[in-house]
Amino acid sequence: MRFAAALRAGPIAEAIRAPILLLWAGAALAFALAVPGFASAANISAILISSLPLLLLATGQTFVLIAAGIDLSAPAIVGLASVVGGIVMSGDEGWLAGRAAAVPAGLFAMLATGALAGLGNGLCAGMLRMPAFMVTLVSGMFAGGLAVLLVRLAAGTETMFALPRAFVAIGSSPAAAALVACGCALAAGGLLERIRYGRMLRAVGYNPLAARVSGVPVGMVTAAAYVVSGTLAAVAAVLLTGHLETASPTHGRQLLLDVIGATVIGGTSLKGGRGGVWGTAVGVLFLAMLGNALTLLNLSDFMITMLKGLVILVAAIVDSARERR
Amino acid sequence: MNGNIGRRWSILNALAAAALVCTACGEGSAPGGDGRAPLTIGVAFETLQTEFWVAAWNKLRADTAARGITMLEAVADGDPNRQFEQVRTFINRRVDGIILVPKDGKTVIPMIRAANAAGIPVVLFNRPADRTDAPHTTIAPDNFAITRETVAYLVDQVRASGRKAKAAVLLGDLSDVNAIERRDGFEAAIRDAGDLVEVVARIPTAWNQEKALAGFESAMQAHPDINFVFTSSDFMLPSIKSVLSARGRWKKVGEPGHVLLAGFDGDPTAYGLMVDGYVDATGVQDVFWEAEQAIRVIEEAKAGTPPPARLDDPGFVITQANLSSLAGRMWGAVMSKRAEAP
Repeated sequence: MRFAAALRAGPIAEAIRAPILLLWAGAALAFALAVPGFASAANISAILISSLPLLLLATGQTFVLIAAGIDLSAPAIVGLASVVGGIVMSGDEGWLAGRAAAVPAGLFAMLATGALAGLGNGLCAGMLRMPAFMVTLVSGMFAGGLAVLLVRLAAGTETMFALPRAFVAIGSSPAAAALVACGCALAAGGLLERIRYGRMLRAVGYNPLAARVSGVPVGMVTAAAYVVSGTLAAVAAVLLTGHLETASPTHGRQLLLDVIGATVIGGTSLKGGRGGVWGTAVGVLFLAMLGNALTLLNLSDFMITMLKGLVILVAAIVDSARERR
Repeated sequence: MNGNIGRRWSILNALAAAALVCTACGEGSAPGGDGRAPLTIGVAFETLQTEFWVAAWNKLRADTAARGITMLEAVADGDPNRQFEQVRTFINRRVDGIILVPKDGKTVIPMIRAANAAGIPVVLFNRPADRTDAPHTTIAPDNFAITRETVAYLVDQVRASGRKAKAAVLLGDLSDVNAIERRDGFEAAIRDAGDLVEVVARIPTAWNQEKALAGFESAMQAHPDINFVFTSSDFMLPSIKSVLSARGRWKKVGEPGHVLLAGFDGDPTAYGLMVDGYVDATGVQDVFWEAEQAIRVIEEAKAGTPPPARLDDPGFVITQANLSSLAGRMWGAVMSKRAEAP
């Protein structure tokens, strides 16, 4: 009885109800049968590892979309946090090069950069009620430009290398990266599903006026969603910077469509109020799996981009159809 | 979820799965002509956004097909994380070699190490890595020398005119070693020129045509008397043409008010503009030679010959003075619809 009740509510039910899960399972089966090398342990591991930064970014985007906002600045925050980490830690030009405090200080600086950038977005979009699209578009441009400026001032080039081994291990060790990303996703899922904040966030996204009348601090709840998004973008920067052993303002720059796509594919509504981290995780896996399988099939880059775009478009159409009901 | 939508999703799901199964056609590869098992080479480019990369890509495709080699393709669209995943995919497919155009010289190093660990030779095509002890082969032009010689040709034109010049340089993405070497080659030639040339604008473009256009427009706004321009890649020539045309400064070589103009690559646009008399010179990379060498290195590595650390594409400078005699060696001229392929 308890098991049946658990199936009717909570993340398992959300995942089972999500059409993406059916599509994902069907496609995974088709790929495993038809694509040489797809089902190998090494390939599945490669899919999982490469999708971790996207999982973090899409999880943050889930919070913002549920609040009926959007965070276009997340990829730029990744680049900015990466550069800040390099400036603190790099063995060539870093402020704390070679010191024991370099890694903890670098991690703190990166996470603080993400949280502060998110707070800036949150104050403008949540407290000042400015349009999220405009706020995050502009802040993304600012963060991207600032990242390039900082790295040029610090290193004279556009990338920084010679990062501490202990830091690189976080992103390049599959186990460590998976632990960090999945831990963050689980914590974010718990925040949405298990505590009052999640309910308030959905209420704000569904109907901000009704939420305000009900005593929900709409501005603060919305601002917090952007802080979560910015902080998770910084965690994604930790993984990407370690994985590629390079601090660069361009990290994450190409991920925006995949971030929003994975979130929408996972069942989070573009109009706010509905969605969850578990569906987003399946959406991330689906996109990563699709890209990998199409590469294995040796389809051209244009075909891969077209098919991924088509899948995201279909997900958006389904989302609109659900909203009209 | 509504039942209708659920049914639609199920249909979509079935269709998608069926379509994906249908697209999963088996890969055929021609048998090796010399009795050896046919090779499979993974080719991962950072971008296909310029004619140079398209020319290289097409040459690799043609040469692998002609030699019975299966070429697995991947383009990262400027995302090094995606490129790393593509390299891992090649490794999982157990390719015989990987030809890689990296996003930059640093992010490629872990990719080389991953291929090394799997015993797969890596050829960096046209873009070197930063200093690393991870074994690989680099096939690249001597950007510094070719750029220095190209810019020196423009300096000679200034010297011959008897007047001084104000220069602008369009820089590439300074995380790319090629861009850095070309910048350094430019600066060396300018230093050699003494006080003949004053550089008034150094324009960062990040290899982006829109940025090049905006940056050069701003430079011309601030310094309308710029009369000497070097672009780190020929693909930005249309942006330069656009700005100069709007200001009535787009003049042929020898016409009053001509802006001395040189580039790097030797692409079809540069060839056309040289034939028309607007561009003074361009540094040419022999992209066809580089592609042939990349495939040869992997074939020889498979046969047991240790791959070399570096192969230099000597390149050359093509100018208005030697255009007719050297056009046959310029890949842009070969690709150009305006020239008969030699």
